[in-house]
Amino acid sequence: MDAIDPLTEEFNAAHDNIEVTVAYYDTDGIKDACKVAAQAGTLPHMWFNWGGSLGQYYVDNGCTYDLTAYAEENKWSDTFNAGALNLCTLGGQLSGYPTSYNVLGIYYRKDIFEQYGIAVPTTLDEFDAACATLKENGIIPVSTAGLYGWHVMRLLEQFVETYAGVELHDKMNSFEESWDNEAVVKAFTKYQEYCEKGYFPDGFLTADPNDTIMATGSGTAAMDVQGQWYDGNILQNELDINNFGWFPFPNGTGRMSAFAEMTQFNKNLSDAELAACVEYMDYLYSEEATAQYGQYYNLPLPRNDASMPEGQPNVPEMIETSGKGGTFTITDQAFPTEVADVLFAAQDAIYGGTMTPEQAASDVQAAIEAYLAK
Amino acid sequence: MKTKKKDYSAYAFMLPALIIYLSVIIFPVGYSLYISLHSGTGVGGMRFVGLTNYITLFQDKIFYIALKNNLIWIFLTVCVTMTVALALAVLLNNKFRGRTFFRAFFYFPCVVAGIAVALIWRWIYNPNIGFINEFFRAIGVDFSQTWISSEKTALIALFVAALWQAIGQPMILFLAGLQAVSVDVLEAASIDGANAVQKFFRVTLPLMRDTFIMVIAILVISAMKVYDIVKGLTDGGPNNATQMLSTYMYSQAFDYNNVGYGTTIAIVMVLIMLIVIIPYLSFTTKNN
Repeated sequence: MDAIDPLTEEFNAAHDNIEVTVAYYDTDGIKDACKVAAQAGTLPHMWFNWGGSLGQYYVDNGCTYDLTAYAEENKWSDTFNAGALNLCTLGGQLSGYPTSYNVLGIYYRKDIFEQYGIAVPTTLDEFDAACATLKENGIIPVSTAGLYGWHVMRLLEQFVETYAGVELHDKMNSFEESWDNEAVVKAFTKYQEYCEKGYFPDGFLTADPNDTIMATGSGTAAMDVQGQWYDGNILQNELDINNFGWFPFPNGTGRMSAFAEMTQFNKNLSDAELAACVEYMDYLYSEEATAQYGQYYNLPLPRNDASMPEGQPNVPEMIETSGKGGTFTITDQAFPTEVADVLFAAQDAIYGGTMTPEQAASDVQAAIEAYLAK
Repeated sequence: MKTKKKDYSAYAFMLPALIIYLSVIIFPVGYSLYISLHSGTGVGGMRFVGLTNYITLFQDKIFYIALKNNLIWIFLTVCVTMTVALALAVLLNNKFRGRTFFRAFFYFPCVVAGIAVALIWRWIYNPNIGFINEFFRAIGVDFSQTWISSEKTALIALFVAALWQAIGQPMILFLAGLQAVSVDVLEAASIDGANAVQKFFRVTLPLMRDTFIMVIAILVISAMKVYDIVKGLTDGGPNNATQMLSTYMYSQAFDYNNVGYGTTIAIVMVLIMLIVIIPYLSFTTKNN
């Protein structure tokens, strides 16, 4: 809001024939609001969305404008980077205007690591040891929050990557291989071990994921699984960016989880409306706008000529590392929501001691099979 | 013999209400029944599946968890909310300094949006910096709970938050009921030798019968529909421990795009409501 409101006001003032009205929702609110609007046939001209299964719904149901021809005509391949365009291509259609490409790693408090003599972990054993040291010294090792499930999932999917490896994990995410396997059981077992050892904040299951920065910011927790946008969050919260470093989760494959964000356009737009929407998006995501309001964007922009944001030192490192090590699709975008919710319920149940890792793996696979059978 | 002339203008006067009733009640209910016999995302085409959604529903373990939670919620609402609201109404019906302030004080949470109540209580229940655990620490009691993150305590913790919000409306209705009890009748009971407790249980409560019928009906219906505080505080978790029929219906219809299945849950909710409310109202009205 701090960036979009003034920019929209400026845009509207400069355009007599275009009036942009913005409605704001939180992360999970917009998912619900857009689906309700889609079912009621009242989708706006454009809406924020993620790639993967979340954006796919609108493509599958014929709600989105297929931008393939428009992009070709306007040479989007010269503007946007190929990876971002690829992630916004769903069901053979370019289904959105790419606004960000995000990669996730472990943000950590450098001062706390230094205080307790902890080196950046390069193996899962070292990560375990770092957590143990932090816990012994009264620091919560990992700040996480499970209200909607996806924040806790960010660590769990790293355990899955660790035990499954590249090939199996990718096949599991595309449902070519079963989730009811030893690697997933091991991942859930590791998560269970972390719960039992108290490596997460008390009551994390129903804490809001937007609040995890409170624990790392105050120094009561040392690590948080976040994307490169976290540099902007640190600055917005007026915390000392020099206290925060990052490292890729030591999963043995070197891959980081990744996801794209985009703006999708209504399939019923006229040519003039589409041009107006794109003009607004170009304005919102211009170099000038991002330079002025950098901390409110997920930078760098997914463009060929994008520059790295000033004062956000972890961003270029994360982007560069993901380029070298590769990425995998974040689980809640690889999964349809109903399967993701079963995974989230399994996380809850394992924490509560009412489900075994074996049962969790079996439940996830059962949910996948039920989804595929629809 | 004179035949009575029919006054058709009466039908004309009824027409606007009939149109509204048909369009906002009868048509949606009928359409929901139709949708519940179909499968689809709600955006594209719908496929007729007969009673498959109903058969699936009665094999769905989360449906039974949600149903059990709703029944517990109804029981707690009728027993606890009604008792506390009545007790407060009796207290606030007495004359004392600051009575108006306390009436407003206890009614106030009722005007706060459910989702805001959820946010307030999320912080109250926060195990690390929340009011309750901090309070115990402040008085030197070594007791800490992860109130809404434990499957064992989440539903009760949620109910306490809802109680805080829901107490105002039945309290006001009971207060109105208490004030409608004739002073003459109470005086007559006193003259006959009844003490305060006897007057309350033998005179006041029976005379508030209509108020009780209304309050219980309202509380049961609202308990069946409970949604926003659950959505905001636990989102049905942990592990469906606070899942309600309404939240499960919403998830199915809008999160999982199973519009037919979600509508089936809605139909079953309405049927359960009718099974509970119609015999209750018919019994209480008959005895009246």
